[in-house]
Order: sequence, then C-alpha cells, then structure tokens
Amino acid sequence: MSLKSYSRGRAIHVMLVYTGGCNGCDIEIVNCIFSPKFDAEQYKVFLTWNPREADVLVVTGPVTKHTEMPLREIYDAIPEPKAVVAAGACALMGGVYKNIHGDIPSEEIAGPVDKIIPVDAKVPGCAVRPQDIVAGLVSALPLLLNAD
Amino acid sequence: MDDNKQKTSVIEAEVPMGTVHPAALEPYRVRLFVEDEIVRDAEITVGLNHRGVERIMEGLPVEKANSLTEKICGICSNSHIWNSCKVAEKALGIEVPARANYIRIIMEELERLHSHFLYLAHGSEVLGHETFSMRLFYIRETVMELLGMIGGNRVQYGSAIIGGVRPRCELDEMRINQIKDGMNVIEEKTTAFADRFVSDPMIMSRISGVGVISQKDALRLAVSGPTLRATGVDKDLRRDMEEYDPFEFNVITQDGGDVKSQLLMRVMEILESIKIIRQAIKDLPEGSITNRSWEMQDVSLTKSYIEVPRGTLYHSYALEDGRVRNCVIRTPSMSNIGAMQYACVGHHITDAQLAIVQCDPCFTCTDRAIQIINI
Amino acid sequence: MNLAYSLIAVIGTLLVALLVSLLLPGIERKFIHARIQQRVGPPISSPGIMAPIKFFFKQTINPNSSMPRLYNSLPLISLIVVFILLLFLIPQMYFFGALASIIAIVGFLKVEEVMYMFMGSLSKSILSVRMPFPDLIKGAKHPETSRSFLEELSTLRAFRLIAFGSFPVYIALFVSVAITGSIYLSDIVAYQQIHGPILFSVAGALGAVVFFIGYMILLNEYPFAILKTKADVIEGPYLEYAAKYRAYVYITRGFLMFVLASLFATLFLGIAPNILNSSFIITIIVALLFPMLMAVMSAFSPIFTYKQFYPTVAAVSILGVLAIIAAFV
Repeated sequence: MSLKSYSRGRAIHVMLVYTGGCNGCDIEIVNCIFSPKFDAEQYKVFLTWNPREADVLVVTGPVTKHTEMPLREIYDAIPEPKAVVAAGACALMGGVYKNIHGDIPSEEIAGPVDKIIPVDAKVPGCAVRPQDIVAGLVSALPLLLNAD
Repeated sequence: MDDNKQKTSVIEAEVPMGTVHPAALEPYRVRLFVEDEIVRDAEITVGLNHRGVERIMEGLPVEKANSLTEKICGICSNSHIWNSCKVAEKALGIEVPARANYIRIIMEELERLHSHFLYLAHGSEVLGHETFSMRLFYIRETVMELLGMIGGNRVQYGSAIIGGVRPRCELDEMRINQIKDGMNVIEEKTTAFADRFVSDPMIMSRISGVGVISQKDALRLAVSGPTLRATGVDKDLRRDMEEYDPFEFNVITQDGGDVKSQLLMRVMEILESIKIIRQAIKDLPEGSITNRSWEMQDVSLTKSYIEVPRGTLYHSYALEDGRVRNCVIRTPSMSNIGAMQYACVGHHITDAQLAIVQCDPCFTCTDRAIQIINI
Repeated sequence: MNLAYSLIAVIGTLLVALLVSLLLPGIERKFIHARIQQRVGPPISSPGIMAPIKFFFKQTINPNSSMPRLYNSLPLISLIVVFILLLFLIPQMYFFGALASIIAIVGFLKVEEVMYMFMGSLSKSILSVRMPFPDLIKGAKHPETSRSFLEELSTLRAFRLIAFGSFPVYIALFVSVAITGSIYLSDIVAYQQIHGPILFSVAGALGAVVFFIGYMILLNEYPFAILKTKADVIEGPYLEYAAKYRAYVYITRGFLMFVLASLFATLFLGIAPNILNSSFIITIIVALLFPMLMAVMSAFSPIFTYKQFYPTVAAVSILGVLAIIAAFV
C-alpha cells in the first residue's frame, strides 16, 4: 500500500451541502459526526465547511431551483480526487416531492442529485440512519484511495 | 426599517453570507449591511426550500396528503401530521378516542423536547462552544430513541392517522417503563447542564443583552411561540386546545427578549414537557386507539390551529370526493423570520449571527407561496 | 570538530522539533478534546501527520485571488519564518548577535501576524459574494453598496489583532529582559544557569501567566479565535488554500505551537533547545504541556467578541506591567 493511498484513507474530510430538503437527513448527518454516541471522528472522518479542503461531498435534499447553481459551483471547487455521496430518498430519486403522483406534478425540483453532478455512493432512507451514513462513506472510499 | 435609523448611520459595505454556511442548518441567504463590523441593516432571503408542497397536495387522496405534510419538515414532523389529521377530523366530525389523544400528546411533547435540544445545541455551536453542543446532542439521543421506539423511525414517525393513532404506536407496559426511565435520565442531565450553563461567566457575558426584540416589535410582527414568550407576553395556544385540558402545566415567560431569555426559556419548557409526559403515562385511559367508523363526505374549507414547538401552526383544506382541495399551510417561522431582521441590528457581526439563530427558524417549514394583499 | 557538532546540533534539533510538532494537533484532539467531550476521537497521527501528507497528493487548483502566485507562496514564507525563529533559539547560533535577541524575536512574530492580513486580502472564495444567487434584484435593499468578501472581514480583524492582540506576548518577553537585564538570548540563558530559572520568582510567575494567554492569542485558539470563527468567517484567511499549500498551513500551525513553547522554556526556564544537551527533554515536555493546557481552556470557552476581548487583553497587559515592576523591586 503506497503512502498515497494509506494517507488518503487515514484522514478524510467531508463537506455537507443542503439543497432544500426537509432537514431530517441533515440533522441525522450532523448527529453522526457531532454526537458522542456515533462520533465519525473515530473513523478518521473530519467535518469541514470549505470545499477547498474537502474530499467527500455529502448531498441531501432534492435539488430545488435556487440551489442548483451553488451545488455545481461547490462541486467544481473541490480538488481531485473527490467522491460524492447522495444521502436520503430525496437526493436519490426526488423523494415524495417528485413521486407521490398527485394531480399536478412538481416543477420546483431540478431533479435528483445525479442529474446535476456525478454520484458515487447512494445511501437510502427517509431519514437516513447515522449508521448507514458511515457505511456509505466507507463504500465510497476505494474510489479515493485508488485514484491517481 | 425605521427611516430615522437609516439616516443617522452610514452603510459602508455589504457582507453576504451564503447559501452554504456553517451557522445555517438550511440554505438561506443573509445580506448584512455593516459599518466597521457593526450591523446596521439586514436582509434575509428565503425561498430556496420551495418544493411546491401545496401544489402537490392538490387532488391527493386525504390519507396520502396527510403523510405528505409530514415530510415538510424533519424537525417538527409530528406537528404537521397531527394538525393535518385534525383538519379532516374537524371537517368530518370524527371523534378521537381519549387514549389516542394522550398518545398524540406524548409524541408531540417528545418532539418539543428534541426540537428544543436541537435549538440549544445549534445555539451553542454558533457561540463557538463545541463541548456543550456535543453534550446536548448526547442528551438528545435518549429522546430520539424513545421516538424511534414508539413511532418506528427516529425522524418522521407518522404516528397520527385520521381517527386516532396508528396501531403500531400502542403503549404497553414495557414501553411505558422505558418512557419513565428516559424522562428521569433527561431531567437529571438537563438540570445538571442548566446549572453548569448559567454559572459560566464567559457564556453569560456573550449572550446577555444580545439580539433584543422588544415586546412592541414582537407583537407588531405577529411573532408567536417561545420567541414571543421570551419577550414577556403570556400567550400559549396549548391552554385553549381541548386535548390539553386534563394536563396541568405552567406557561413560562421571560422578560428581556435577548438570547439569554430565549435559551433559558427553552430549558424551562423542556422541564415542563417532562412534567406533561409523566402525567400522560400515569393517567393513560383504556380503550382503543383508532376510530375507524367514519364516512367520507364533501366538506368546505376547514381550519385548525395548534401550538407547536415554534409557535402557532395553521392548516386548512377542503375535501371533495375524498381528495384534498385548496390546501393552505402557514407555519410560525414565517413571522419569526421577520423578527430576525430587527434583532441583529446594532451588534457586531458574530453577535448578529447569534441573534439570527435565536429566533429558532425552520426555513424548510416556511417556504410556501405567499400572496401579499394590500389592505 | 566543533563545526560538525554545531551542525549536528542545529539540524538535529530542527528535525526533532518538526517530528514532535506533527504529533501535537493529534494529541490535542484525541487526548484532551475527545476526553472532555466524552467520545473516542481520531488516532493521534491523523490530524497532524496524515492530513498534510494527504493534502500533498491532491490536485493543485488555481485559487480565486487577485494575485494567485503571491497568495500561494505565503504559507511557505510563514513556515520559513517559524523555522528561522527556532533556528536562532539554538545556542550554537547565538554568535549571530542581534539576530538572537528579543528584538529579533519580536520582529519575526510580527511577520507571522502580518501574514494573516496579506492572506485575507488576497483571497476571494466562492462562499460569500461569488455564490451564484440572485441578490441584486428589483426590490432588494441597498443595491448600490460595495460588497465585501468574508475574508476581508478577517483582514480587518487581523489588523486589530496586530494592534492590540500581541501585547501580552511582548510584555511577557520583556519581563525576562527586566529580570535578567539584557536583550540577548545568550545573556538571558547564562543568567538563569547561575541564578536558577526566573519562573520561580514572583515576577517570573506572573510573566508566565501573561505569556500563556499571549500564546493562545497568537495561535488563534478558542476563545480568541475571532479571526477564523465558524460562526461568520468560516475559515478566514485560509479559505482558498488547497493541496500542498494547505499542507504547509497545517504544518506551520503545529510547528508554531512547538516553537513558542520552546521560546517559553528558553526565556523562563533557561533551557535552550539543543539536542546535544540532555535537558532537551524538558523542552519537549513543555512543548507537550502547553498545547494540552491550551486545549483544556479552549474546550470550555465560547468565542470572544470585541466586547470580551478588549477587557481580557487589557487585564492581562496590566498584569504584565505589574510583573515588570515587580522585577525591578
């Protein structure tokens, strides 16, 4: 195992982007990283708020119209190698806002996340469980470790 | 903004704080107009969370519409679904069994607990105190486990249905004992935390006198809930709701209207909620928890108001052929957000961020389409 | 022979200092913060060693800045200045005369502080004005005001900190001058070999307290972290650093922690950092103890705004002036 992939696996910086969801997944993710019960720091996962420092981008929420451009710009600002984790039913397929089959379909959603930026790991749930978020991050790791 | 204030102060620069920011739990945009790091004016833009919920609800069968309202917000989810079911029950004349009402109130008070803990933890984080923030998240875990045990999911439990409570949320002996133990643990830890919090001179100097909302401004802007009660006005809709009649609790008010009053208010409301839950599990009446003997009819627009952790919530819709028509939802954060623009004026930028967070905004609840009518 | 020994002393001390300083952020995070916050915490090597190494292997991007190459070179200049500061603390370099005196140390620390101002004024990140949001629309308030980035706020605050935030450290430095009667490091160390460490006198003890508070202010640690609070400026001057420049930023912070602690050991305990001397152990112990004490204090405090910052600095400075007066009495 080269120094490159060893060091990439021992310090992972995660950035959260909220794109207009109901906030349930966001609270669970903050719970996962900040609460002493789940404490993602013991798995060498650090929280950051700066895209220039991040390796992994965790996106929640169906992407509403006004948050589409910020999401794209933040994704472009992250240096390679990077991975994207889409967490929650809204980020995966639009959640209830796109799929409840009412009389009038919603026009406010710019689509689930993979219509806007490429997604590497998908974590289902409504709201997503803190244990599953760590599992999702770990499953996106091999992409980071083996990238050049 | 008063014209007087604008004339006497000079605005040098504008500092926009963006859609993505560590102090913002949801996406919103704040533009602070500063003069040498003191805020003179502020503009808060909402609308990034607009998903068109009222439009989606048009024409949905009423049971589906109820479970959609729950997804409006992840923090106050039980409040939305309870109020939505209440509209249907009021419209169709369905009587909810007493045991179901008690269980609904237990879920609502548990949600008030988790929402207030989240507010305190977020406030501590904006203050810069990571340690207290983590301690509060730790205490909050007990509440989340109780909610998960009764409702089936930690967030968005879907416990209320038309006519009562979902059969899964039945409380048996084991669950009641777990709630009892949970309440003891939370009360003990919260009082210990509150003593530690109040006796810390650094934190108290940071939060006293910051972000003051005067009583006159609060009443003029139609602020409701704990944000209003922290300015000294004694208004709580729970006293008028008939489901809360069998319970005895105090309505807490604080004078001052600053961040210290808001934080202390939430801590004392937590202790009051624990009292209500204890009364509920002690006097739980027997009987069924669902009333399935009702018929669908066509009804005109019916309204319902309840008191949720942030203020007064309003739902209304009409029913036609079993489907929802003309749904209007108005959450308390809609007017609380207006108070934020006044509270942050005159302070340093870091204090202004604290003043913005103190009004307990829930932007995801708030984003509906509003029509402003010139009176 | 003498030259060889001196060379070994200098290079060896610098290397050992670098190694220890890479472990300091991890110790602070795992043993102090995590224990206080009742959680497990990261492994010791992660925040200090593995994170800079990982940053070396990331893609180098072009920072959003008016002068990108100058902006990128500033962390390296910062690191070199801290290296030079440690270099002139080593006894084998005292023959340089005025460069190994209190005046030079004050100068080097000043360069360190001015770096924040330069970094903040050159960085223009996406997280404030550049965010693609329709702000200036019809009906917006004050559409004609000039818009400033979050980093410019940081620059203003760095400017204020240069003006008053460095008083405690400088007054503490002059406490040792007042007691020993000379500004040259060689004389200060020699005085304490004869008379014992000045930490154990009244003036020295007060000076040590003042130095500790100044240490926290210089490192921008909570509660004095108004330069880079998460609540408004996010990361302040460092917002546009990525890849290897961010690694330099990380390494500089750990190294500065070590160097300031060994400055304390030199001035107040009379033990200059020298790997050939067995009392280097004490320098390392002080270098481990100071960040741990700092972490304990920072875990229990919020961020101070100017309302609390000014009185704290004023009180500590008055304490320092009392210490200087006590030195003459």
